[in-house]
Formats: sequence, structure tokens, C-alpha cells
Amino acid sequence: MLTVENVAVRRANTLALEGITLSLAQGRTLAVVGESGAGKSTLIGAILGLVPCAAGEIAWAGEPVRTYRPSLVMQEPRRAFNPRLSLRRSVCEPLVAQGLPRDEARLSRLCQGLEIQPDLLDRLPSQVSIGQAQRVGILRALIASPPLVLFDEPLSALDAVTQKHTARLIAELQSEEGFAALIVTHDLGYAAAYADEIAVLKAGKIVEGGPTAAFIDRPQTEYGKSLRNAAFALGALEQVA
Amino acid sequence: MTRVVFGLFLRACVVLTGAAMATFALLWHAPGDPALAVALARYRTVVPDAVLDHVRAEAGFDAGYWPAFWDWLGPLLRGDFGQSAVTGRDVWPELVTAMSYTAPVALLALGIGMALSVPLALLATKRPGSWLDRFAVAIASLGVAIPAFWLGLLLILLFAVQLGWLPAMGARTTAHMILPAVTLGLGVAASLTRIIRSGILEARGKPFLPAFLRRGVSARGVQRHHIAPHAGVPVVTVFGLELAFLLEGLVTVEVIFSRPGLGGFLVSAISARDFPKVQAVVLVTALIFVTVNLLIDIIYRALDPRIGEQNA
Amino acid sequence: MTIMVRGLSAERSGRTILYPTDLDIKPGERVGLVGASGSGKSTLGHMLIDTLLAQGHSVAHVPQSPDEALDPLRSMRFHWQEAEQALRLPADTDRRMALFEALRIEGGDLSKRPWGWSRGMQQRFVIAMALLGTPDLLVMDEPTSALDPVVAAQMMALLDDYLAGGSTALMLITHDLGLAARRVSRLMVMDAGRVVEDAPSERLLTAPQTQAAQSLCAHRNWMKLPC
Repeated sequence: MLTVENVAVRRANTLALEGITLSLAQGRTLAVVGESGAGKSTLIGAILGLVPCAAGEIAWAGEPVRTYRPSLVMQEPRRAFNPRLSLRRSVCEPLVAQGLPRDEARLSRLCQGLEIQPDLLDRLPSQVSIGQAQRVGILRALIASPPLVLFDEPLSALDAVTQKHTARLIAELQSEEGFAALIVTHDLGYAAAYADEIAVLKAGKIVEGGPTAAFIDRPQTEYGKSLRNAAFALGALEQVA
Repeated sequence: MTRVVFGLFLRACVVLTGAAMATFALLWHAPGDPALAVALARYRTVVPDAVLDHVRAEAGFDAGYWPAFWDWLGPLLRGDFGQSAVTGRDVWPELVTAMSYTAPVALLALGIGMALSVPLALLATKRPGSWLDRFAVAIASLGVAIPAFWLGLLLILLFAVQLGWLPAMGARTTAHMILPAVTLGLGVAASLTRIIRSGILEARGKPFLPAFLRRGVSARGVQRHHIAPHAGVPVVTVFGLELAFLLEGLVTVEVIFSRPGLGGFLVSAISARDFPKVQAVVLVTALIFVTVNLLIDIIYRALDPRIGEQNA
Repeated sequence: MTIMVRGLSAERSGRTILYPTDLDIKPGERVGLVGASGSGKSTLGHMLIDTLLAQGHSVAHVPQSPDEALDPLRSMRFHWQEAEQALRLPADTDRRMALFEALRIEGGDLSKRPWGWSRGMQQRFVIAMALLGTPDLLVMDEPTSALDPVVAAQMMALLDDYLAGGSTALMLITHDLGLAARRVSRLMVMDAGRVVEDAPSERLLTAPQTQAAQSLCAHRNWMKLPC
């Protein structure tokens, strides 16, 4: 269980995040939506322990970040890898870093789940498509069986069809592996389709949050409403009779 | 903007103070007896201990480090550079004379550098990777690698000794300026060519340029209004470094060509441990350096205000 | 005047990335060019613009992101004046204000450089520049992907209002059929360098013929919600 308790983050004399309180249970999915500059990436940095909190506490089942080792899926899949290393070596980096043995059976099981051809891992990041690179990025995030996986705009570099395909693969793996997923996205459609709960971040504060269905059905704030309307206007969500 | 300029000004003051303290410390702590060096320069012979004591007291060497430092700094703050420890004459007029020989050579060298590098870089970037481009890059690399003292001697051998076209030594006529200025100018041209060339190539790869062409802006317009400013930003930045290179080269070149300028002034002052003279040269060059860099910073920020925004 | 081009094609390092393609676009028509990434839709868009410009048509292009359309060292006023001069239009404050009002950027400070404006306003400024010469065709390449959804939706709505009833045709290039479906009357589906399907939106959405179109239709949105 991830608990973020009244967290504030200071950036250049202003508060980039203020009074952030969130909780996320094992196996569940929380989507944090909001515009760029709202503090979504700062929140991820704070949970990873890369950005110091000015106030508040972040813990997983009472333990600090250092022990529970969350993993991260980044937005730009190709830039997330060392361009000179084969994808296989990049994927195994978390195991090396944590001193864990390489479990070939798990690797091939995850590859199967993510529809990664085994020989794909012997290529360089520049030799695979963006969609393939992002699936390998997810593989790397999951290889060391982390209890919590953070997704920073995991689909925004992909095209519409690949987005939906990748989102389904993530959800299937989540139900097998049982990790908690925190997805930061500007795409309310993705959040609506896959998150159990949604938190709306605006100017460093959570202005609205709760179960996904309730939010999509009836957003409480003006900003929540405009997010929802935009998702309909851009065709991410559709109303049918 | 005012805040930024004020900040830069403050930085300049810190640099000047640092330069003053560092040279004083270096000269003071250098091995050997400074009084002996001054006496040797003054009387050109070995002198008895009584005279040395006299020199020591006169130059303030016996008072200790800090009193000597303040003795020098006090008048300086009022604009008085003091008197030479060797000759007893005022430093400032001598310094002005030296600079009047140095400044034209420096400016001419800078002019030669610009006049050569801009066309060469433009020519090289016409077709990147062509033999012309490679040739320009090779020449520029060679120019950066060749030290000024060696190039100066080569030029003397060719134009003064072999061909006899130009005078090599002294500073009597304007023609005497040409060889030293060319020696320095070639070095400046070499490094500027490389910077301008890479600046242009980088500016040409900017992602927004195709949109301007599709909007109907002429290739010429894009070149002049969009590529040129982007290429100019790194060039302006490097200008400060170029100046340091020039000041450094000037000392060597003036000694090679026996020109009476700042270089000769500095070398003789150091060997005689003539504190006031050395300090004056260091301070004046530091002041020039700081002023030019201050100007560059301001121009840089005017060209690309994003830099100021990030720092402020 | 109907826009007609014949035999557009493109190669990159010996590989065909766009097979010969013919295009007819009627005045005021809204066309969506959709396909997966790498299907050749951006290439077709660029070829179309360059060919039409060479033929002397008036075509305007709105790139994916304002970073690909504006020079960060130049003021907005400079961009505007340059665009006017490129089209050989006299400077006209009324025309500018009308466009700025239509796209809700009348409050923008023209003496600032692009990064002094919000991204949404930058993008709408780029659109205003594109509309300056009342072009026969406006080509937009993934216009929403660099913007936040709220800002993107506002921009598309403003553009729809501005273009309504005019003779400027719109070509919307996107990987997202959901985005195109609501805004265009005709959809062209690209796959592997070819236009594989070209039909009125209604028909394509209800009865896609090719595999590429079927895949796009199946993934056109995240969720369908009851009204």
C-alpha cells in the first residue's frame, strides 16, 4: 500500500506540489491526470525519492522508498535506454543493481505477456520501433518484481492503435503480477478505461479525486468538467445512445 | 534586466579583487629576495647589504605581507598606480605608452581574424563535407595547433628575411604592425572559423526552419533572419575566450618582434620584481577582460533572453 | 477551385515510402488522413504541400508542435510581419485583430518571443499565420498531440468555427481516428505508403473494408459511455 501523506515539494521558492495525499493498494491502479506543468512529473520524482519533499511523508507499507524500490516506465521509450547497450542488457540492469539472480523463465514469461519476440532483445534501442521499445521499457520495469510501478505518460509517444494495445498488455500483466500501478497521464480516456481511481492535479494541488466511474459520470470541479469535455471533444471517450 | 546587469557588475568586481590579491600573493611568495631583484635592475650590479636594506624599506618589503598589500591597494583605490620600484617614475604614463603600441596590433589582429574567418566559414558551410569544407576545417585546426611564437618566427623568416617585404623588429612605422598582427590574427581566424562553421551548421538543423520555407519566406530571408542569429549566439560566447587568447598571444608576439608594448613592459617588470608595474598590467588586462565579458554577457542575453530568465 | 494532384510519391534511401497517389480535394472539404505511425501520412502531407506550393496554389501548413513553427529568438511581431511579407500582403491591423480574436489570442503580447506565450496560444498563433492568406488548403499534422487536451479541444473548436462556411479546405493528418472522426466528412486511411481506403466518414466508420481501417475503427476511442 502506497501512502502519500500531505506532501509538499518546493521548487525555486514556489510550491510545485502542495498538500498531496494519495493512497494506492496492491494490485490497484491510480491515474493522476492534469495539464503539463501541474506537477505530475514532480510527483513521480517525489515518490521515487529523487525529489526531496519539503513536508509530508511517502511510504510503502510503512517503509521508506529506499527499501521498496518502485520502478518507472518513462515517456520517451527510446531515450529511456542506453543507446550503446543491447536491450537485453538494459532490461537486466534492475537485477544487477539489486543483486538479484537472472530468472530466464520469468524473463520469457514476461516477454510472452508483452508480445516481445525473444530476438528483439538482442537489438539496440535504435533498431526497434517506438511501440516495441516501450514494451521493452515495461519489461525492464517489471523484471525485478517491484510492488509498485510508476508510469510517466507511458503511451503518449505511441499511435492510437498501439496505445490501446499496450494499455491492454499492461493491464493483463498487472492482474497476473499484482503490482500497484500509478499512471501519470494527460489522457483522460486512458485513465477512464484502466484506472480504479483518478486524481486530478492542477497547479500542484489535487483538486478532485475518487473512483473513476464516479468522476467520469459527474466531475465535481470546473476543471474536472473541462477535462472530461475535452476527452469527448477529442474522441478519446465517446458517448453512444 | 537591471538586476541581471547589476549581478554581472558585482561578479566583475569580485574577479578584479581576486586578480589583484592573487598577483600580489604570487609575486610576494615567489622564491628569491625581491629587494635584490629590484636593486639589480636599478644599479645593474651587485650592491652592498646596506643598499639592499634601503631598497627593502623604500619598496615596503620589510613591513610584512598585509601592510605592503594595503600600502599598494590604498592609493590604487584613489586611481594612483604608484611609482616603479626600479626607476621611481609614475607607472601610469608608462603603461599608457605601452598600451598605445599594443592596442592597434590587438585590434588589427581581431579585424584580420574576423575578415578571414567569416568568409571562410560561409564558404565551408556552402556544401558541408565537400573538399572545400574539409580543407577549411583542416586549415583551421592547424591554425589552432600552431603556437604564436613559432608562426611569428616563420613569418619573419619568409617576409622579412627571405623576401624583405616587411620590417620585423621594432615599432617605428605602421608597416611594423603588420607581421605581429598577422601572426595573432591567423590564430584568431583559425578558432573563430571553427566556431562560426559549427554554429551555422547547428543553426541550419533547427526543426522550425522547414515551416518558414513552407510559409513562403525566401531562403535568403531564412538565412538572414533565422539561421544567422542562431549561429551568432555561440560566436558571441566564444569571443570572451578569444580575447584571453589574444592577450596571452600579445605578450609572446611583442617579445618576438621586439615591440615596446604591454608584453615587454610586463616581462621586464616581472624579472625586476617591480611590484607596482606588474600589478598595474595585471589589473588593466583584468579590467579589459572583465569589461568585454560583461558586454558579451549583456549582448548574449539580448540575443537570447531565455538565458537571463533561467538565471534570474 | 478543386485541388488536384497526380502521382505523388516519395522514396527514402532507396525504399519507397509513398507509392504514387492521386488526390482531389474540393473547396471547403474536410479530409482526415489517418494511419498508424510509419504509414506514410506525414510524408504524403509534406509532398502535397510542396507540390501544391510549386503549382502556385495557396496552401498552409500547421506542424505538430509550435516548436517546429516558431523561431525562439524572434518576436511574435517579427513572425507575423514576415508571414505577411512572404504572402506579399500589406500590413493590416484589422485583419490581424480579426484573426487574433477568432483564435482568442488578442491578449498576446506581440513583442514577446514565442516562449513568452503559453503553448496553446503559440499553436493558435501558428494557425492564425497559416490562415493569413486565406489558403485553398490548410494541412494540420497531428495538431493536438503537443498540447494538453483541454487546450487542444479549445483550439479545434475555434478552428472549426473559423473555417465554417469558408472555402478553405482542411486536411487533418493524425494517427487518432477518434480525433478525426468527429471533424471530417471524408476519411482516407493510409497503410505502408499507400492510401488503402478513401470514403465518406460515415461509411468508413460503420463499414471499414481494409484491415488497416478496421484496426483504426476498433481502437478509435478508449471507452464508449452511455448517454
